[in-house]
Amino acid sequence: MLDDSARTAPSSPLLSDLSGVSGRRRTTNTVVTVLMGLCVAIIFVVLALVLATVIGKGWSIVSKEFPKWFTKDIQLSPRRPGPGMKAAIVGTIITTLTATVIAVPLGIAGAVYLNEYGKRSLFARILRFFTTVMAGVPSIVMGLFIYVFWVVPRGIDGLNSFSGALSLACLMLPIVVRSSEEMLRLVPQNLRDASYALGATPSRTILTVVIPKASPGIISGSLLAVARAAGETAPLIFTIGAAKQVNWNVFSGTNTALSRQIYDNAKESFPAAQERAWGAALTLIALAFLFTIVARVLSARISRNS
Amino acid sequence: MALSIADLRTKKQFADRLFRGTTLAGGAAILVILTLIAWTVTDKSSLVFKSEGLNFFTERRFAPSATPAVYGALSFIFGTAVTALLAIIIAVPISLGLALFTTHVAPGWLKRPLVALTDVVAVVPSVVFGLWGIIYLAPKLVGPFQTVSGWFHGVPVLGSLFGQVSAGRTFMTAGLILAVMITPIITSITREVIETCPEADQDGALALGATRWEMIRGAVMPHSIGGIVGAVMLGLGRAMGETIAAALVIGSSPALTANLFSSGDSLPSVIALQWGEATSDVKRSALIAMGLTLFLMTLVVNFAATAVVSRSMKRMQGVS
Amino acid sequence: MNTSSRRSVAIVGAMTLSLIAAACGSDAKTATTPVPGAATTVPAGTAVDYKALKGKLVSSGATFPKSFYDEAIANLATAAPGLTVEYGGGGSGKGRSDLQEQVVDFAGTDGIVKTEDVAKFKGGQFVYVPTVLAPITISYNLKGVSKLQLSPATLAAIFQLQITKWSDPLIAADNPGVTLPGTAIVVARRSDGSGTTENFTKFLKAAVGPDAGGTWKLASGSTVEWPAGTQAGDGNSGVAQIVTSTDGAIGYVDLSDAKANKLTFAAVKNKAGKFVLPTLEATSAAANGTKINDDLTFFVGWADGDASYPIAAQTWIIASAKQADPVKAENIRGFLTYLLTEGQKLAPSVDYAPLPDDLRQKAIANIAKIGS
Repeated sequence: MLDDSARTAPSSPLLSDLSGVSGRRRTTNTVVTVLMGLCVAIIFVVLALVLATVIGKGWSIVSKEFPKWFTKDIQLSPRRPGPGMKAAIVGTIITTLTATVIAVPLGIAGAVYLNEYGKRSLFARILRFFTTVMAGVPSIVMGLFIYVFWVVPRGIDGLNSFSGALSLACLMLPIVVRSSEEMLRLVPQNLRDASYALGATPSRTILTVVIPKASPGIISGSLLAVARAAGETAPLIFTIGAAKQVNWNVFSGTNTALSRQIYDNAKESFPAAQERAWGAALTLIALAFLFTIVARVLSARISRNS
Repeated sequence: MALSIADLRTKKQFADRLFRGTTLAGGAAILVILTLIAWTVTDKSSLVFKSEGLNFFTERRFAPSATPAVYGALSFIFGTAVTALLAIIIAVPISLGLALFTTHVAPGWLKRPLVALTDVVAVVPSVVFGLWGIIYLAPKLVGPFQTVSGWFHGVPVLGSLFGQVSAGRTFMTAGLILAVMITPIITSITREVIETCPEADQDGALALGATRWEMIRGAVMPHSIGGIVGAVMLGLGRAMGETIAAALVIGSSPALTANLFSSGDSLPSVIALQWGEATSDVKRSALIAMGLTLFLMTLVVNFAATAVVSRSMKRMQGVS
Repeated sequence: MNTSSRRSVAIVGAMTLSLIAAACGSDAKTATTPVPGAATTVPAGTAVDYKALKGKLVSSGATFPKSFYDEAIANLATAAPGLTVEYGGGGSGKGRSDLQEQVVDFAGTDGIVKTEDVAKFKGGQFVYVPTVLAPITISYNLKGVSKLQLSPATLAAIFQLQITKWSDPLIAADNPGVTLPGTAIVVARRSDGSGTTENFTKFLKAAVGPDAGGTWKLASGSTVEWPAGTQAGDGNSGVAQIVTSTDGAIGYVDLSDAKANKLTFAAVKNKAGKFVLPTLEATSAAANGTKINDDLTFFVGWADGDASYPIAAQTWIIASAKQADPVKAENIRGFLTYLLTEGQKLAPSVDYAPLPDDLRQKAIANIAKIGS
């Protein structure tokens, strides 16, 4: 997309030859605009199809079992119909939140180091490189890693929401670091200079000027990471157990999550289980969307205040 | 408690150093975790390298039940590369289009809904994409695949790329699903990067009489290219490492073929699907070695990307 | 195994036996290898007091019996309100490595732990308790054909893609008088490593493998090298989905999943040369024709007997013989006893075959080896 003419475009004497190639350039412009619109349309159609499938298949059970879907534990036998996803909803919320609490501050700290202190130093470059590498480690390997490193030494007591959160945090971390760093980099240098001129220390500048300025972007990046973690199944298989009763304790006792309920139930042949899988999928999407809205509102407020 | 200015300064300096140390620890945490992962994966995969040696990377057969058992990763490496490449080829233009449309074409009232659109795609769990892929998409793709295959029948290169259609679960299906999954990552970072492109550059380009597209090419892209490549690399990492969705739609038939309409298999998929019944230590070790292989692949790809980015950055800077 | 634990074998065996003898009395063909020290004559005893069980058991393993265990756990929840049992599935391999690392209290497995791996179990010696059996159906979807008979040799040819049309003479020879369409055969198989694949290929290897002078070349195991062109589905439900949606498809699916998906299945020729449908009775009959080893390991496929269905799966729960926590030991014994008593009555309702009486008694005897 970026050939030589692209780079020289602004500097070329555009006005002089406007009359000559104007038609072709205008056509190019229109074509590209239409193509962009087409991209939007493609994503919109795909999303609509996915959501239509999920809502079509999931809404019936969620609405039929309306209050009980959110207040009852999970049916013990997959072949029996009946409500209950409370255990998984609670599990997803506490596990993802714990993972977020671990990964987001750590990730932002890493990003601040990379962009504000490390910059182009060798260590920072190495760090940046390996962060991207870490983003490519498959989720199932993260699960195995936490299993070997954290769960096995603790035996049966190692299967809990916290272990699950650790594996999810490992998945989130590189996404948070890389996206936050991109956002920090976009904060204009003159803001920092102004802050220093007023006598602020680097830490104060970063905390009160740079991070608030970058916060909308940081929040969107973190949200991507949270959404990814909430939808992950593979790492939880090794780390969280297979509870069907609600467990609010993050550090003790097995737990479950919506993503696991989706995968496990979808693998069963029984209509009741299939229904539950789609119901859980709808619940997870709704929950994740709720998270997103809350975070967006928060970020809007933060950026207004700063 | 009166503090002298000197006290205040040392206190400030201390706080400053503490803060710097904290951020350094955050960064170092990544290296520590990654080292631990690398160590675990290498350690646990040693068994299969003892029996297969480096043939593990070049052997195309994966036959844990054969006598003697054969463990080869080549078909899975191939499948991972092909599907990730397809995903990138499909997702990058769409993401760029989506990001540019949101920032430069859409009227003000449409921007928020468009951002929300990307966010919603991002929150759809990967397993849901996988299920949607096998239940809804894969059966519907057989027809179009056959049509495309018909067009290119007998044409060199394209004819073998778009060859005979075996079923709905193919490299191409996996590529498509992965493309949808990585689009939000690439779009959202790209959008943020583009949004912060200095107004002055853009206005300048427009004032010189550039059309919107010329302004984007000339002013926005050079500014944003570094961030966009970073976003693409994150997306590529995700595409290569995605487990459940790929496992569901790729077809799980290890194959080395140019035909994109053939079923194949990928590294994360084989780990996910074979782990449950991996009852021997060697098979388990072979599966972990698949994870190690993926790790090495990401390393290579990132090396390449870093090189490309730094070169293109230099060129960009040379221009502006 | 010390003598006191042997004695408790007898006692537990006794109490459960007396309970079920009446309900499940069958003229099972016994005469399999006797288990030394196991209770063959048993005094009267008392039943497990399920109400007194308190605590939680965590387990994982084989997915083949999962829907039976889940059903039993759901029923046990009423009988033993104080006991929570979690069966996470995940596969035999996962179950075994979890038990090996002591991450679970017990594990389900469809296969036997290799001798060289036994020593790696952190919890020391473990006990095999067979729990249930089930036939593996050969399910198909062929317009206009509602009855189909297949011999092992034909199955080998189909699953190795050596024949490609339903009208092939090999299939016709198994089905005299049936008009077979010329539809292309689509083979559906598992994409995941699976005990079902292992038992199906074990049957083929035993019936028509190289040692039997047959044509099955793909060996046996949880993953085999299927020829390109076969369709893969994740789990029984994945295979069932391919079969349901494709005219001309054929695949191997566990009975309970085949029934849940309303699949049509074929009768398969057994060792005695008879075509038998995959019923629970035919599976129990197969177990009667099976040689049981001292540690209660066995393979129920390709069994002797006119009434035996030849493709069947067996499954075990394994747990450490020596438990650190006596309460946990009691809970494990309680759950396993439930599976082998009330659970056996439940099995047919969820399309699993109960163990033949003789084998069940031996299984109950093995439960008592789990102590603290």
